[in-house]
Amino acid sequence: MSLASVKEYFAPDGTEKVLELLETYGDGALIVAGGSFVHGLDARDLLTGVEALIDIQNLGLGQITLEAAGLSIGATVTFSELRQDNEIQTATALGAVRDALNCPPLQIRNVATIGGNIAAACPYFDLPTALMSVDGVVQACGPDGTREIEMQAFFSSLFQNSLVAGEFVTGLLLPPLPGRSSSAFIKLETNANDLAIVNVAVRVSLDESGICQQARVVVGGGVAETPIRATAAETVLQGERMTDELLQSASAEVPSDLQPMSDHRASAAYRSAVAKTLTKRALARALARLD
Amino acid sequence: MTKTNVVGQSVIGPDALEKVRGGKGFPVNVNLPGMLHAKLLRSPYAHARVLNIDTSEAEKLSGVKAVLVPGDVPQIKFCPVYFVPTMAPSMIQDMLVMSETVRYAGQPVAAVAATSPEIAEQALQLIDVDYEELEAVFDTDSAMQNGAPRLHEEAENNIAKNPVFEFGDLEAGFADADHIFEGTYKTQRAHTCYMEPRVCVVDSDVDGRLTVHSSMQHMFGLREKLAFVLDLPESMVNVIKPPYIGGGFGGKLDLGYIEPVAALLSLKTEKPVRIEQTRYEDFITTTRNPIEVYLKTGIKSDGTFTARYARSTLDCGAHATHGAEVIMVHGMFGILLPYRCVNQTWEGRTVYTNNMIGGGYRGYGSPQGAFAIESQIDEICEELGLDPIEFRLKNAHKEGDPHPFNPEFTLSTYRFEDCLRQAAARIDWGQRTPAGSATGTIKRGIGFGCQALWVSGCMGFPDIYEHSGAIIKLNPDGTANLSNATVDMGSGQNVTLCQIAAEELGLQADQVRMTYADTETVPFDAPSHASRVTYSAGTAVKAAAANVKKRLLEVAGVMLETTVDDLKVQDGHVCHQGSDRKLSIAEVVKRAESPFVQMTAEGPQPTTIGEKGTIIGVASMAPPSNPSPSSVEFVEIEVDTETGVVKVLKVVFAHDIGKVINPSAAQGQVEGGFQQGMGYALMENILFDDETGACLTADFLDYKMPTAVEMPPVIDSIFIESDEPTGPFGAKSLSEPCCTVPAPAIANAIYNAVGVRVRELPITPEKILAGLGKL
Amino acid sequence: MKKSVSFEVNGQHQELAVAPSETLLQVLRDQLRLVGAKRGCDSGGCGCCTVHVDGKAVYSCMTFARSLQNCKVTTIEGLTKKDELDPLQTAFVEQGAVQCGYCTCGMIMSAKEFLSKHEQPDEDQIRHAIAGNLCRCTGYHKIVRAIKIAGQTTDLAGE
Ligand SMILES: Cc1cc2nc3c(=O)[nH]c(=O)nc-3n(C[C@H](O)[C@H](O)[C@H](O)COP(=O)(O)OP(=O)(O)OC[C@H]3O[C@@H](n4cnc5c(N)ncnc54)[C@H](O)[C@@H]3O)c2cc1C
Ligand code: FES
Ligand code: FES
Repeated sequence: MSLASVKEYFAPDGTEKVLELLETYGDGALIVAGGSFVHGLDARDLLTGVEALIDIQNLGLGQITLEAAGLSIGATVTFSELRQDNEIQTATALGAVRDALNCPPLQIRNVATIGGNIAAACPYFDLPTALMSVDGVVQACGPDGTREIEMQAFFSSLFQNSLVAGEFVTGLLLPPLPGRSSSAFIKLETNANDLAIVNVAVRVSLDESGICQQARVVVGGGVAETPIRATAAETVLQGERMTDELLQSASAEVPSDLQPMSDHRASAAYRSAVAKTLTKRALARALARLD
Repeated sequence: MTKTNVVGQSVIGPDALEKVRGGKGFPVNVNLPGMLHAKLLRSPYAHARVLNIDTSEAEKLSGVKAVLVPGDVPQIKFCPVYFVPTMAPSMIQDMLVMSETVRYAGQPVAAVAATSPEIAEQALQLIDVDYEELEAVFDTDSAMQNGAPRLHEEAENNIAKNPVFEFGDLEAGFADADHIFEGTYKTQRAHTCYMEPRVCVVDSDVDGRLTVHSSMQHMFGLREKLAFVLDLPESMVNVIKPPYIGGGFGGKLDLGYIEPVAALLSLKTEKPVRIEQTRYEDFITTTRNPIEVYLKTGIKSDGTFTARYARSTLDCGAHATHGAEVIMVHGMFGILLPYRCVNQTWEGRTVYTNNMIGGGYRGYGSPQGAFAIESQIDEICEELGLDPIEFRLKNAHKEGDPHPFNPEFTLSTYRFEDCLRQAAARIDWGQRTPAGSATGTIKRGIGFGCQALWVSGCMGFPDIYEHSGAIIKLNPDGTANLSNATVDMGSGQNVTLCQIAAEELGLQADQVRMTYADTETVPFDAPSHASRVTYSAGTAVKAAAANVKKRLLEVAGVMLETTVDDLKVQDGHVCHQGSDRKLSIAEVVKRAESPFVQMTAEGPQPTTIGEKGTIIGVASMAPPSNPSPSSVEFVEIEVDTETGVVKVLKVVFAHDIGKVINPSAAQGQVEGGFQQGMGYALMENILFDDETGACLTADFLDYKMPTAVEMPPVIDSIFIESDEPTGPFGAKSLSEPCCTVPAPAIANAIYNAVGVRVRELPITPEKILAGLGKL
Repeated sequence: MKKSVSFEVNGQHQELAVAPSETLLQVLRDQLRLVGAKRGCDSGGCGCCTVHVDGKAVYSCMTFARSLQNCKVTTIEGLTKKDELDPLQTAFVEQGAVQCGYCTCGMIMSAKEFLSKHEQPDEDQIRHAIAGNLCRCTGYHKIVRAIKIAGQTTDLAGE
């Protein structure tokens, strides 16, 4: 790592101190949680002018609690820790999150934080796609107090989140989902230690009679600047019974909502085609979880 | 087959024990007192002229000890390839250690030595370079056009080399054909991905003598090339042998920029200077050259080749380097020689572009050829309804034939047919279903590829070094030390060569230890490359051991008062045949090393002059031949027809490598070779930005190679042992074919599964979906 | 600005002056001269630098040394107790899982954490456990076998 301009490393033990440091250093401050994407930022030349690293591991944001409002996950909870959580391991509704948490290699799971994964706003990461399918809400804290931001609104563009100056992520809330909910996530990658070429997370929430009350189809991995909802596909599912034909026709709608990129890893056409296939498979997997 | 005790066993050497505890012997660990660290400033432009370099700010930075710019560097043109003489006429001397003309993005234009790598890096940012950007060309077709920017004055249309080989009468051959097949096959840039970066530490004495530590595959090549570019006599450079290096696979077979730059900075500062490349630098330092092969084949209805024409275009990037030799090996061993065909013409073109330079890589031109040849054979068989196994055998060479490359040698052992038949039986070839007939979303297929002809070293190749040496010395405790100048890059020769010495000396494998060497003390050796070490270095080691044995028996003969002819070595002893008298080797060595006059109970006793002196054997010699191994690989794969993803399920490899010296090490070579070959087939590719020429795959998140998860659960390796009369204990060679064959085997299996023929590597999921008409 | 960080390495207390962006890998190799952790890419891509922090496998090239206050670091050098090899080390040697050996220490450290949590794992689990470690020599087969064999002889939580 070069990080040549960095002069200070702070490890404050309170939120207030973080806010102070963010104010003092402004654009020259970089929050560091697990640190696993710092190299990624450097390689993309996104670290120029960074003078102070602010380690947020000592803020006590490492808790996971099940509350009435939902599953509350502190910003510095790691992939490994969240994978061990009982709710994540067992809840059918959170199947997509479980799937996505398995993706990075051991060494990354052990340090990568949920807050860092979201804040990085990298369209090739897996967890954001999965979290969007379960209507995750980002909790942030800043000079003007705390606020909650829906995932979809949180990602603004490539490596850009919608935090304002001086704000940082303190946690994530996964609210209870309606009816019989199930979700699943699938990733297409070149090898087991890869960022997604395309990833898809789906959730269906069925009522007693098996009719779909609410559907989410989220596609990530370079199909747009951020993970996006394939609303046309969701509409097809909404209010319907989950037949094979329905899954087919919903998946067929997915490409209409994408603006995929062509890059050295895949062409736009390929990303579109695969997003469709993965959606179909993810839907089947989510439904299988309800059996 | 000769009966052996140590040879043929899966011996484990001391290196493995050291490596699981930290592996202190890697060159990356070399750390000398007062050592400085240097970094290279690399051009962001692919084609440019350096107009001015201002280093004044960098020099002012505290901790900076020296700065180097092109003006400080001898402007001696050279070819960096280690295994040829520096001015070899078949190679092209077109490189400078530091030039004012930049020909690829990433070419160094300055360097800084400082007290830490971080300071050196910081200093680079302070160097101000004024470039005049020139028009760049990134593909061979455009580069050969009239009016394309010319990279080197001497090379018209950027063609660096244009060899042609003609055999028989091509036109008559095509006229004689019942069918003619044509196709163009393309391969990509792949990196060897040695895990230990290229790294060196160069120290200089007061009199300007250099001592060099480096992660490289050839000590003597490094000495020769480094001395040449610095205009020093070779005796002023001493290259220290690293106990082992972290992989090479051909990627460390040429002088890099780092050694001469470190040497110049060391001379300037009178301190040791270390340079370690970053992974990005490694990615733009060496690659398997991409080759496009146009292949036209004439064939009789019964499957006999009547004619073949091939034209191969190799993109060597900014400098010819290995591209001048890879094209030759590719033409010969990749295209012309593997199968018999009387009428053949091949034209090769090595073409300059503003891309990164090429390097050596396992197979050295043959993988690019095998992909074309072995793919097309399957296309022919498919079209004509011929059996691909019988087809290959019909056109194959036979044991006892003159060697097609060098008729002075014979194919004394050549078990290609056994390889094919045994591997086919093992994978159940008979159960194979017709191409594309599988149903369902996930389709299975079987395919195979061959490397019918390859080398055991470079004996007989024009301009290529091929001799080896060894020094073996016995210790008073009855053990032996072996010094030899081939570097162990993970292929295990530190063990196998000791096994060969131990076998000859009647010792256990762990009684022979590979020991220190440098270019001042041991005989010359060609590099660890070209599948040569077991065969060639093994031959020299066996000869050195035979010399030791001769001397050992002479001394023992004096001690036992008998003639040498009555003695033999066995189990650590010299035994008298015909009686039970014997001496341990330790006793003999102690006697040879003892003071001339020994004090005994009876008073001082002189021994004889004849038994005095260290028991040591030296050999330096060329190997007698260049026997061909042969290799066949079958794979069973699965294609997901909705995503195009290919999964390899099973691999059966059969190799005729002569006598297997160390079965476990041989298996390891095959399994590792398959990982590289499969990566080449399916995913690996060094890519550059179309416009700037900047590398897009500069780390392992972008350059993908198989992890343990993608590897097939089963790799079955069959060794068909033959007793090669010219090899040490019957050995030939192994390590390259297993890396060459996977790509055509996988391509053929994909065709069998889904009926899609992909003629361009890597066969990405996207190409398969396109082939299925789904994009 | 360098600041002092105190942490434990292989059971020994260390108090070192560390720059803000210095990584654990730099500290281990350059300051402590523990060369078992290797630099293969410096960017989280190869796994050669894998060590344990508080019993968990991490890429030391991505770990800021300043984050290690009061942590326990274990490197390959810490696995061998009184010259007795860890069962993983023995299995790697015996199964021929070591070729060039550059990936070996990182592989073993990943496998070590994995085996401390998985009893008698199957090959598929093992392959996923080392997905963050590249090897270019062995094709992983003998590595997987070595881990499997070591897994049959070690108890859980053998840290
Ligand atoms: C080899 C490798 C493989 C990977 N594989 C996968 C994979 O398969 N799937 C996947 O989803 N991801 C993968 N990743 C990405 C990984 O998950 C992310 O790097 C990680 O989640 C980022 O979290 P962190 O805590 O390490 O963040 P850091 O690296 O510490 O920070 C990342 C960014 O987020 C900012 N940040 C961090 N925390 C906060 C906060 N609380 N508030 C505001 N800003 C914050 C930082 O300033 C920085 O800009 C991989 C990464 C690597 C290196
Ligand atoms: S050096 Fe840390 S992962 Fe490669
Ligand atoms: S043994 Fe060489 S990289 Fe694994």
